[in-house]
Amino acid sequence: MAMSKLRRREALWFYLFVSPWVIGFLVFLLGPMISSIYLSLTDWDSFTPPKWVGLQNYVKLLTDDPVFWKALGNTFHYAAISVPLGLLVGLWLANLLNKQVRGRKVFRTLIYLPTLVPLVAAAMVFRVVLAPSGPFNDVLGLVGISGPQWLLDPSWVKYALILLSVWGAGSATVLLLAAMKGIPRELYEAAEVDGAGPVRQFWSITVPHLTPVIFFNLVMGLIAAFQVFSQVYILTPKASQPGTYNASQTMVPYLFDQAFSYYHMGYASAISWLLFAVILVFTLLAFRTTRRWVFYETEVK
Amino acid sequence: MSLDRAKVSRRGFLGLGVAAGVITLTACGSSSGSSDEPLVMTVWGGETDRSTYQKRIDLLVKKHPDLKVKLQLIPSDSYAQKVQTMIAGGNGPDIMQVAENVNVYSSKNQLRPLDDLAKKAGLDLQKRFGAIGSLYSYQDKVYAIPDRSGAMIVYYNKTLFESKGIDAPTADWTWDDALAAFKELTTKGKTWGYGGAGWWPQWWSFAYQNGGTIIDANGRPAVDSDEVVEALQWAGDLLFKHGVVPSKAEYADMGADVGGDQAFAAGKVAVNATGFWAISGLAKTEFEWDIAPMWRGKKQAVSSFGSGLAISRTAKNPDNAFKAIDFLTSPEAQQQIIATGQDVPANIEVQQSEAFLKPAWMKTTVNMGVFAESSSFLFKAPFIPEWNEMQAAFDTGLADFWLGKQKSAKVALTAVQKNLESIIKSAG
Repeated sequence: MAMSKLRRREALWFYLFVSPWVIGFLVFLLGPMISSIYLSLTDWDSFTPPKWVGLQNYVKLLTDDPVFWKALGNTFHYAAISVPLGLLVGLWLANLLNKQVRGRKVFRTLIYLPTLVPLVAAAMVFRVVLAPSGPFNDVLGLVGISGPQWLLDPSWVKYALILLSVWGAGSATVLLLAAMKGIPRELYEAAEVDGAGPVRQFWSITVPHLTPVIFFNLVMGLIAAFQVFSQVYILTPKASQPGTYNASQTMVPYLFDQAFSYYHMGYASAISWLLFAVILVFTLLAFRTTRRWVFYETEVK
Repeated sequence: MSLDRAKVSRRGFLGLGVAAGVITLTACGSSSGSSDEPLVMTVWGGETDRSTYQKRIDLLVKKHPDLKVKLQLIPSDSYAQKVQTMIAGGNGPDIMQVAENVNVYSSKNQLRPLDDLAKKAGLDLQKRFGAIGSLYSYQDKVYAIPDRSGAMIVYYNKTLFESKGIDAPTADWTWDDALAAFKELTTKGKTWGYGGAGWWPQWWSFAYQNGGTIIDANGRPAVDSDEVVEALQWAGDLLFKHGVVPSKAEYADMGADVGGDQAFAAGKVAVNATGFWAISGLAKTEFEWDIAPMWRGKKQAVSSFGSGLAISRTAKNPDNAFKAIDFLTSPEAQQQIIATGQDVPANIEVQQSEAFLKPAWMKTTVNMGVFAESSSFLFKAPFIPEWNEMQAAFDTGLADFWLGKQKSAKVALTAVQKNLESIIKSAG
């Protein structure tokens, strides 16, 4: 009986603490979400009353809009490289920062710093750094590589965006580092006694223990990559960089243009729901694979 | 400054949240206004714009104490989205500043036709504003009164011209004259003769000079005509054949967001065609400069920049709103536009006044008569409802051309033409 009282009290606290989110969700998200489903089935310029068109927006998007497919392809391309690369770099940096070297606190700060720089400022700096004869290409020149025109060349602009995303790998690093710190020392000691070298220890102890955090970063990274907006919007503004406009066009900037430049609000709503579907599918896929590679310590105990 | 120009340097970030925000706002009801509420007037720009508009409004209120106007200044890069949100939310402004995108609103029934109000007030648009009097019309109805308007003009580096012994540009320069001068003025890798014509007001001017048109009299796109193709080819050749214009890569090397205006101020390009606003960036240059009217092709033609004032469909008191606009575009109020150095007033009387020709704040002698001189050959750009989509079609369709990857203007414009035909549905 006492137990259930405790439970009830805990439940009460739960609802109390979760209520700001629930209220926010109901008021600010659920309504707009439902209305955007309706709007995606209409032709709406945001001024005059919406005209019902059924599935026409979706049909047009999927069968008769090359820019949409281009944007979708670009988004996949961006996500497919930036997410794994960000994880690898994060893992590598976290592993380095976990070493007992002098000044590692300074390094930790430095590596997290890019995450704190506002994206707009970072993107502006990148535009200068990635200029055709900018510092980055100068450095490449030192090792004999003649650098591409990053932001002007349609075939390179996506890699410039990926570069900017990897530059911000610090947030993943911090999470991975925290998880590494939580791995019990005695596991390593036992491994050492058994004669395992550092590489073997890394793959057999560190990585399995990190998989939940890697998984978390994977899912969040996927969602962020599919919704990439600011980087594209600032790094390759269409007016001053039209050359790469289509090459760097991803889903959300395209949605934004349709809604706020071309006044096709219904069409934009349809894009947002297709994007939602894409993200949902990939997130579910990621969850489906967890059984095979994500290791939760609690499952063992 | 035109809104379009502002987009060139626009930044900031808005994500899905904005889309959700708009939809949330539409869900909120509109507040019903009483006649006592002030007229809400939305404009874009920065601090100079705010103070100039406010000064004009102060004059208005002094003259008509019964009118109340609340000025709402919105940063240029988010103006269109903000106004769209306000209207969609049922809280549209009474008076709104509009420019190239005026017919986005008029075609969607968001603006009030002003012909009858103008007639009632005895306002003769041709008399007050000259050729651009009916610039902001759609299907033979006027939807905005010109407020700020200036031709695109030619800035030239006087010091460099003199050192090379070249006469100042004039309205009678032909394309050949211009090219010959640009070649003289170019020192490879250091200075370029001309800032380039990649922006629509620049190369469209050449198209119209050549007898071409972007949208024909029937409202159909006409960008693959020989006249337009020849004009674009000429503009492109300046870059890749003659090397008298900095390429995209060369501009990118000058710094982030450096274009013709900044490169001219830095002395890197000798000639630059742009609007009035560039004057403010030239207060401290190491060289002497002046302005001249645009040169000519087969005939004279140059684009104009500017904006107008419109009354929204939901304005609480259209008569009062028009009374306000009538006064704001009168000589008395328009004087302020030049007094603060904000822009060129659309009112012709003011453009020819001493106050405009010799502004108090101007440190050097600048041939301000160029604006009045150019006003006789302004061409009327097609402000179609699909303006933004049309611009995007040009941006993407001509991207490879301006990068020098597609050398043929014919091929590039044929593709743009096809794209425009699918974008522009309505005739008119």
